[in-house]
Amino acid sequence: MQESPKLPLRQRLQGWIEHLTHILPAQAPIRDFVHHNTLHGFQHLPFAQALAAASRLNGAKPYWPEGRFLAEYAAGRIARADLAAALDDVGLSELDADVLPGLSRRTLFLAALLAGSTVPDKVRRDWLVREHEGDVDGLFALCRTLTASAPETSEDWRVLAEARWHALCREVGVTRTLRSLLENLSGEDVLETVRSILQRHLAAHLDLGFSAWPNPQAERGFFAAWKSCAAHDLAWELDELPGIRDEIHDLPDDPVVVLETELRNLLPDESLWLAYLERLALELPGWSGMFLWRDQHPAAFAGEPVDMADYLAVRIFLERHLCTELIRRLTGAPLGFDDLEAYYQGNPAEFLVRHALHSVNLPEDLQAAAAGLCAATVDGREVHGWAALAPRLGDFLQVDAANSRAWRLLELAGQLAWGDSELRALGPDGAACLLAAVDTLDPLLRGQIWLTAYEAHYRDQLFSALTVNARHPRAWPQASAQVVMCMDDREEGTRRHLEEVAPDIQTFGAAGFFGVAMYWQGVDDAAPTALCPVVVTPEHLVREVVKAGSETARENRAGRRETRLRWRERLYQGSRRHAIGGPLLTALAAVPALFALGASSLAPDWLARASRRWRLAFEGRLATELALTADGEPTDRVRQGFSDAEQLDRVEAFLRTIGLTEGFAPLVLILGHGSGSRNNPHLSAYDCGACSGRHGGPNARVFAAMANRREVREQLLGRGIAIPDSCYFVAAEHHTGDDSIEWYDLDRVPDAWQGKLDTLLAQLADACRLHAVERCRRLASAPPRPNPWQAKQHVANRVADPAQARPELGHATNAAAFIGRRSMSRGLFLDRRVFLISYDPANDPDGGIVERILLAAGPVGAGIALEYYFSTVDNERFGCGSKVTHNLTGLFGVMEGADSDLRTGLPWQMVEIHEPMRLLVVVEQTPAQLTQILGRQPALQELVGNGWINLAAQDPSTAALSRYCPRRGWLSWSGEAVLPQVAKSLDWFAGESGPLAPALLRGALA
Amino acid sequence: MSELSRDLADLVWLVPVLPLLVAVLVGCRVLFGSAAGDGAERTTAALGELAALGAFLLLLLIDLSVLWHGWPGHRMFGIWFAAAHWQGSWSFLLDALALPVATLSALIGWLIVRFSATYLHREAGFHRFFIVLCLFLSGIQCVLLSGNGLLLFVGWEMCGIASFLLIGYAWQRPVATGNALFAFITNRAGDAGLLFSLGLAAYWVGSFEWPALLAAALPLVDLRVLVLGFAVAALAKSAQLPFTPWILRALEGPTPSSAIFYGSLLVHAGVFLLLRLEPMLAQLPDVLAGLLLVGLLTSAYAWLCGLVQTDVKSGLMFATVFQVGLMFAAIGLGWTTLATVHLCLHAAWRAWQFLLAPSWLVLTRDRPAPPPAWLRRNQWLYTAAMQRFWLDKLGATLLAAPTEAIARDVRSLEERFIDRAIGEPGRGQPILPERPLVCADGLPGRLLASASEMLQRVENRLLLRARGGVAERLLREAGRWLHTLEELLEQPRYLMMAVMVTFVVIL
Repeated sequence: MQESPKLPLRQRLQGWIEHLTHILPAQAPIRDFVHHNTLHGFQHLPFAQALAAASRLNGAKPYWPEGRFLAEYAAGRIARADLAAALDDVGLSELDADVLPGLSRRTLFLAALLAGSTVPDKVRRDWLVREHEGDVDGLFALCRTLTASAPETSEDWRVLAEARWHALCREVGVTRTLRSLLENLSGEDVLETVRSILQRHLAAHLDLGFSAWPNPQAERGFFAAWKSCAAHDLAWELDELPGIRDEIHDLPDDPVVVLETELRNLLPDESLWLAYLERLALELPGWSGMFLWRDQHPAAFAGEPVDMADYLAVRIFLERHLCTELIRRLTGAPLGFDDLEAYYQGNPAEFLVRHALHSVNLPEDLQAAAAGLCAATVDGREVHGWAALAPRLGDFLQVDAANSRAWRLLELAGQLAWGDSELRALGPDGAACLLAAVDTLDPLLRGQIWLTAYEAHYRDQLFSALTVNARHPRAWPQASAQVVMCMDDREEGTRRHLEEVAPDIQTFGAAGFFGVAMYWQGVDDAAPTALCPVVVTPEHLVREVVKAGSETARENRAGRRETRLRWRERLYQGSRRHAIGGPLLTALAAVPALFALGASSLAPDWLARASRRWRLAFEGRLATELALTADGEPTDRVRQGFSDAEQLDRVEAFLRTIGLTEGFAPLVLILGHGSGSRNNPHLSAYDCGACSGRHGGPNARVFAAMANRREVREQLLGRGIAIPDSCYFVAAEHHTGDDSIEWYDLDRVPDAWQGKLDTLLAQLADACRLHAVERCRRLASAPPRPNPWQAKQHVANRVADPAQARPELGHATNAAAFIGRRSMSRGLFLDRRVFLISYDPANDPDGGIVERILLAAGPVGAGIALEYYFSTVDNERFGCGSKVTHNLTGLFGVMEGADSDLRTGLPWQMVEIHEPMRLLVVVEQTPAQLTQILGRQPALQELVGNGWINLAAQDPSTAALSRYCPRRGWLSWSGEAVLPQVAKSLDWFAGESGPLAPALLRGALA
Repeated sequence: MSELSRDLADLVWLVPVLPLLVAVLVGCRVLFGSAAGDGAERTTAALGELAALGAFLLLLLIDLSVLWHGWPGHRMFGIWFAAAHWQGSWSFLLDALALPVATLSALIGWLIVRFSATYLHREAGFHRFFIVLCLFLSGIQCVLLSGNGLLLFVGWEMCGIASFLLIGYAWQRPVATGNALFAFITNRAGDAGLLFSLGLAAYWVGSFEWPALLAAALPLVDLRVLVLGFAVAALAKSAQLPFTPWILRALEGPTPSSAIFYGSLLVHAGVFLLLRLEPMLAQLPDVLAGLLLVGLLTSAYAWLCGLVQTDVKSGLMFATVFQVGLMFAAIGLGWTTLATVHLCLHAAWRAWQFLLAPSWLVLTRDRPAPPPAWLRRNQWLYTAAMQRFWLDKLGATLLAAPTEAIARDVRSLEERFIDRAIGEPGRGQPILPERPLVCADGLPGRLLASASEMLQRVENRLLLRARGGVAERLLREAGRWLHTLEELLEQPRYLMMAVMVTFVVIL
């Protein structure tokens, strides 16, 4: 980031904080969990560069470990040809040039990739040589002679120590903080202390309603609140930081002044400050990110002001003081950074011992000796023996480096099928040349190649399936009903089974808010919620109201509901913190709790249904309807209901988007979706991504109500869409967890449609049960080969069980998206891996519709796919670890245990079976048209041109497939198109528990 | 039928033994590598559940038999060891205190085993978790049902170790292992109290059995000292002041372990111990007053700290400590029945509340009511509550840090003297320059080397140096004798005799 250093810090700080929004996790408080690209701030960069940048910043591993890819290679999920093609794809040059006579770079790179990059440390290496191969053919010894004479092995340990210390010091402020330098020296992580100190204050300041007692100074901001506490805090003395309390007491009230003073104390070089703050913020990414989110969204929650400058000031103050204290313990004097550098320059032996102990895998004897020396300094004893140990370490490091190279050469020779004679012919120079060539494949590039190959393998399967499917054009019976579902990959399964159960049902897919962006207030909701993609701000409010005549019933229900909720509140909060009420409530609730615990363990579904029944019996049922139509002029920013014209626009636009403009079936079902689970802070991550992580049922209900209105239909006729009177729209919501369907407004369906509706109800229920069977195959704890009823019972129990950490698997299988007519994919088994978005290229000559679809669905799909991608490849950095130790904090996030960073991203349980790859979007449109769209839309250019999603096109007329490569443009596909054929889905997946390749379903041909 | 039900109480030893057996069994499965894959998980969970359910049903049947036969009372099953006039025995005390609490604990244990089987599905530490959980279930039943102090101590230690192991469940996280160590060290203080009292009991009363111990007529001074040790143990285990901090650091394990250990069962072990000692306590009004004071102080402390907590588990933990403090106060007032009932109800409710900790977002809707205004504005008290009155830090400074320093000293002692004295393999130095092949390190090594050196000399002297020396002559003589013996033995009759002699020896 370029800027003038002349500006006062305060102004520069604004820019810096703005910059931090790009690199810190942007996850909102957990109640509103919405999938988004974890590296959203890097999206302006090409994929590989962005990952490299992120990896440099926080040390994350942005690709799957190579071991996983090698396992996939062994399992046949990546072929050698894929890997060879990937070398071209990532843009490596001169692949056919020879590194050595007769050995092309391509061959060498393939060998290097298949050899893996993990070099075992000395102990393991020795063990392998001794026990496994025994080095019978003497190859390892030979490799050692070849690499031993490499030039850099003739160093003196002093030179080595000095070089390393110098390199480390140069990294401070660039890629590491003083803390991490000191950790490297002492093995002691100041961050642990900083986090313990900060974490309670931060949580207290950001708390959204768990704690009863906020800091008395909280309304003056975080810095003031922290300062007033820290100035009273006796912990400083116990932490052996006396005097700091007075210093805190005398701190200026302005955090920016503090920030500047401390930064100057820490690093005199101003040009490093931004990078230093970046590193500092990224050391506690979760807390920093949440603080920044609140700073950037001041209107989201009422309460204490949240200012990022406050946080940074406290953070840097603590960093400086705790680091100085640690330096004092290390060197005996509270040195500044410059003096520290000079100190270890003067004591290279001590540096080398400390450094080797904490950053190198030493053999046991050296480690024990080094640890002994370092431990002795903790008690402040004078330590001798650095100088004796350092030369031994220096020797070890040099020999170890040479042996590591020898090992790599050996592995490489193994992959190239070289024996003794070839290696001898290679000579030391040849070996050096070979290893240097392999070194050009850095770990990130290797990951990128593997990923590209992995994606290519699946892409070929999909392309082959699409081609085969296009060769089998089929005519389906006249539609008895049309069902519009969410584009969600999970609904691929529902749709497929529905079509298999009832071939005369036509299905569509679209973003699950069905073109109706709105605030929604259900009859029991205290406040409206936005049901639309996060990027959209709705302008309309639709309320669910009781039917005329049942107002007293509503009053009754509201009263009873309030009573119930108040008692529940009293019970959980009171038993937690009431001095007198607590024990009494505990006594009252103990026996029911024991009963509930038993019942929820033995028959979770029964308990859930029974309590729903009891709740309804207590509160009373209500017949409701929608306050849909606006009756007057708009009065304020958010309008009550939609006017007729607005309804017309929405219905028309949506029907045109999905390509349903004629041939309406007697029944059109709009099917939203949502999920539900017990005891799960990540609840909303399972819901509809197009509805901001909420349920999409209300949108479906509103859309159906609009489309049924006479006024709307009459005007639609004028716009060329004729919905016949014989067509009726119904709405329902699909529960993706237990595969149940909740129908809306069934009492309003005229008698003429009752028969057809009953049939549809039964067919959909059948399809859901079959879908449950398919889902069970991926759930290790589900019964093996269940019948549909068992499967349904199992998923119902799963969702209702508070002990269940995997109520469903969410989007774990997502991999691709199809935008086109259903005929493109109908009859294919796609393993719930594909987002299906309906679009009819025939009605879209200028590409306007597909442009809008790409703009709306592209970011949603990419957000889901990339969040899963990153949470999978490095669950420690990008994900939030295992659910089992999670601890809900301040009602805004989860920690591990009671003292950790705030964990963002997806839990391990959600991504466990995910196959991390970028979303492959196949659009049924000509490449030329798509090129134009890409040219018009910078947002798409960013996603596609930078390779955050992979784009492909299927020509609507010829069904020819081509894929888009940002570097080389459109590449047409000419692979082999063969596909296994089975009668129905069940035949293909029965007994399988892993991911499955596509198959052609003959049953769907009927 | 009636006979059968009376004999049921004789099977009570199964209650702690069943889970222990399962722990050993699962441990063996892990050890021999047969616990891998999803299928192995089911076996482990089924074994755990079987043991927990078995223990619960057995206790339930014993409870039923009480209706006909009254409380089974003290049951002796065998002698563990005996020395001089006192002995350790396998005995259980099934009275109106032990049986209800044990039954409830077994029920909660069973439900939590079921909960964990689902919750920890596919965790890397699944089997490890179940081993430790079973160990704990066994330990807590030993504490509850024990008929003597020694068995209680065994159970007490099993619980302590299980707690330590599950706090460190996520051993990759330094915070988790550090906290596990802190909890372990703090609990040792309580264990010291328990051991001290048991030692006094052996010395003064001559028995560990509860009936003997509780009925012993000791001078009040002695009794007071004896009870104080037990009281310290109870305070430490139930996290009363000043031991409270350890339990707040114990929340690193999986949610079900937090629920059963610190929400529900283990935290009440101290209360139970005091209830067990009620007859002794009743004679000591001053100790009772002390307990009342500590209980009330702890309650006030937990209530105040609970106000500022921001994470659900810590919030619930302070709430738990608050009510446990009230139980201590009730005991201090002599209201032991109330304390027992409170203990049972509280254990049941907290188990549920801890298990539902991740649901807090949907279970509540409003911020809890703020404290009174005078308190709300008090910055010092706020800071103190936030820092939990610095007890945690004090504990670390006064207890954990010195312990670690001692450990470091012991380590350096070991490195500098003991290791050198014992010697290590592969580091031997030649003892004598002229014999480079004979290497030795450490005291035993050197001793052996010099012994072999000496033997070598003897050998040289006797055999190798001079032909015709004394040794050679003697050896020749012996050789001749042996030769004759061999010839005799080769004859069949002597051979038969030798075989028969062998048989006689064997039989």
